[in-house]
Amino acid sequence: MVGIIATVHVLFSHTSVGAAIFFAGLAVYADRNDKPEYLEFIRRYGMFLLVFSYVLGSITGPGIWFSTTVASPRGISALIHSFVWKWATEWVFFVIEVVGVYMLVYLAGKIDRKTHLRIAVIFGLTSYTTMLVIIGILSFMMWPGQERWFAEGGYLNGFYGVNTFAQLGMRTAFMFTMTAVVGGIVAARFDDPVFKKAVTTRLSWLGIVSTSAGAAMLQWYLGTLPETAQVVMANRLPDRFAPTLLAVLAAIGAYFAITMWKPRLLTPAVASVATVVLLVFGLWPEEVARESMRKPFVAGQYVYSNQIIARDVPGMGITSEIPRIEAHGLLKTQVFTPPGLREITPDNRLQAGQFLALSTCSNCHSLSSTGMRPLARYFGGNTDVAEISQYLQAALSTGATIYMPRIPLQDDEAQALATYIASLAPPKAAARPAPPAPKLAVAAQGITQP
Amino acid sequence: MNAEMLYALRDPAGVPSHPLVFLLLGVLTFALHIAAVQVMLGASALVLRGAFSDQLHWRRLATTMLNTAKIAVSVAIVIGVAPLLFVQVLYDPFWYTSNVLSARWVIGFILLLIAGYIAMYGFYWRNPQLATKPARSRWMMMLSLALLLLVGWIMHVLSYQMLWPEQWQQWYAPQGRIDASGSGLHAYSVARFGFFIALSAPVAGAWLVAVRRYLQGAGEGDAAYLAFLARLARRLMLLGGVLSLAIGALWLLTLPEKMAFFASSPWMLAALVLLLVAVALPTLLGDRLERGLWGYGVFGVGAVALIAVAAAREMLRYTLLSGVYGYDALDYKTNMDWYSTLTFFITFGVLGSVTLGYLLAVAWQSGQHRSAVYTPSLAVTRFGRWSVGLLVVWIAHYFLIGFYTMVR
Repeated sequence: MVGIIATVHVLFSHTSVGAAIFFAGLAVYADRNDKPEYLEFIRRYGMFLLVFSYVLGSITGPGIWFSTTVASPRGISALIHSFVWKWATEWVFFVIEVVGVYMLVYLAGKIDRKTHLRIAVIFGLTSYTTMLVIIGILSFMMWPGQERWFAEGGYLNGFYGVNTFAQLGMRTAFMFTMTAVVGGIVAARFDDPVFKKAVTTRLSWLGIVSTSAGAAMLQWYLGTLPETAQVVMANRLPDRFAPTLLAVLAAIGAYFAITMWKPRLLTPAVASVATVVLLVFGLWPEEVARESMRKPFVAGQYVYSNQIIARDVPGMGITSEIPRIEAHGLLKTQVFTPPGLREITPDNRLQAGQFLALSTCSNCHSLSSTGMRPLARYFGGNTDVAEISQYLQAALSTGATIYMPRIPLQDDEAQALATYIASLAPPKAAARPAPPAPKLAVAAQGITQP
Repeated sequence: MNAEMLYALRDPAGVPSHPLVFLLLGVLTFALHIAAVQVMLGASALVLRGAFSDQLHWRRLATTMLNTAKIAVSVAIVIGVAPLLFVQVLYDPFWYTSNVLSARWVIGFILLLIAGYIAMYGFYWRNPQLATKPARSRWMMMLSLALLLLVGWIMHVLSYQMLWPEQWQQWYAPQGRIDASGSGLHAYSVARFGFFIALSAPVAGAWLVAVRRYLQGAGEGDAAYLAFLARLARRLMLLGGVLSLAIGALWLLTLPEKMAFFASSPWMLAALVLLLVAVALPTLLGDRLERGLWGYGVFGVGAVALIAVAAAREMLRYTLLSGVYGYDALDYKTNMDWYSTLTFFITFGVLGSVTLGYLLAVAWQSGQHRSAVYTPSLAVTRFGRWSVGLLVVWIAHYFLIGFYTMVR
């Protein structure tokens, strides 16, 4: 859900920013060449491309907050508590944007051209500043900018890193690709074939150059990833990931080449479909990769995806919760453990296991047979509680499994969780004798996959 | 849920400035947000009223209010980001728990808000000549208003559930059985919600007083329309104000025992007095509304009254959580970060003021020059140049400080 909302958010917000840049260019052209009729395009299409997409972008922006709040409250909390002022600063830009976006559309032709152009520039610059702000926060979510952040704390150390700038370069290039794609929707409606060709050619060049630059930036970005992320990418991302990404880039390049070669093929419908298709296929793999690469952490390389603080951060006065959990167990240290489950008994073992699965697994694993990475699927229908329990303690309690957080379970907790996992096995599998547990052994080098 | 447990849910990173700063900003920005929400709801209701009317004045008003509602939705959303941010900073144990307990509704909030917004736009696109032709697809506007009220209700419940920590465990695991569906809305106060929604009527009235003054300034020739607006605005303010205060009184009279102190809280009483002054202001001002800035002053006083309401609401939360549950939002651990604190206040105070001042001045003055293309004065244009300059400086500073951090 977080990925879907994030993708929709980027779809609309980039459309809005892309349209703003295109319209600013169109306003410059209209001003320099005394073509006020092109301001009419801003008024006509601005309502949809700018305002509608801007507002949907601004709804889905907090929507990401909402979805991460329920999926990973401590993850979003970690970001908010380190970067509240940066988000508040971004809010100032949001307010300027929302006023600017309406003025850009409603006042086209009603104010002098230079003023209109200045408003377009203000809107464009303001939109870019919002990207500058969010990029640093997104980068921190993956890795704090500077390693010294752990020792010293401080906003600047967390915000700025080479990854921040690589990501910024990639997204800036992509923003211009969006300008080229969204501009096509408007350019497709120009009646004057000469002007249409001129605009389409420029947009195509912009698209080709920005896509190529974006591909180069992507390489740079991948080069800035820490070793752990490289290992995760190599092991966890599906084989089709890289070819898909290349295919998307090639498709974007081909689209611009075709529209440059035959501008008449550029119709509003083609441009609109291309916008949605390229965005969804271009964005979705990136969202998936970002979600995977930072595992087992969800924020700042100190908050586990299962919401446990897993690392000391002396610079911020943060201490790891792992030693306390190791000493007392999860059930006794979790605030929301129902009182009747704090002590495991034969009668409540299954329920305690369910609670443990909810609190330690369900952030990443669906507890039903459908949804995201169903937990039961990783155990191949195994119903042998002892085997599952042994695996949990060997592979998870030690933190020896790549991509997975360290979950220090007490003996009885491991048994309870294993009992619950065994209960998830489909009835058919449960009726069969338990198969050996080929996936449950920890590899000799201490690294295995769940 | 005792104080120790609540503190255990706090974010260990602390906050980068004194907590009081966030508390005050939360009050201020909530007031701005709720004002935009109330303008949005009031304007939407007026659109519907106009869409069902044959009278020309109502139809003209519906056209204007439809544009107002569309813009107010986006302004309410954008401004709403700030109080949403600040509540997460100081009240994270409460906000996140409330959200997780009603997770489906939290996700539903986004989808319903999008649907409500699209329905409003659908009505707009179906009625390009609402002022002169019969309204089409009125159901879209009705649906939009209903969905906007529903998302308001969800937000009310999420805020209200924060105030019931002793119930959280029971909601999470009723009779000891875990309910992880997140499908419940567990605590609400119809009177409290009704009070904030009913305020939409006087706020819309104050808005109409300002709209009327604006039209006067722009040389509006339809005196009958201006008179219609004046009558409607006064009625909305008086009747809506009385209704709001009555619902507000009902809220205070039906407060649960643990919140009973709020009924005699000087904060709430001051807020109610200010609301009373705001709704009576058009009557008190009489003909002065026709002159100078008085016509806009009504909305200004209304905004001050809303800040007082927001402050009272915050006092209820703060006092309840600290007094009854031992959670003091103002003792949050502070990891002072001067750079990001100053960046915000300078951006807000300098860049924000100059740029928004410029944009609003242009928007305002162009609206007052309806007959010709408007060219701002040199003084206003200078603000525009400064705005661009400040934005460029801000971007340059971003990279410079970034490179400094990298090489340090």
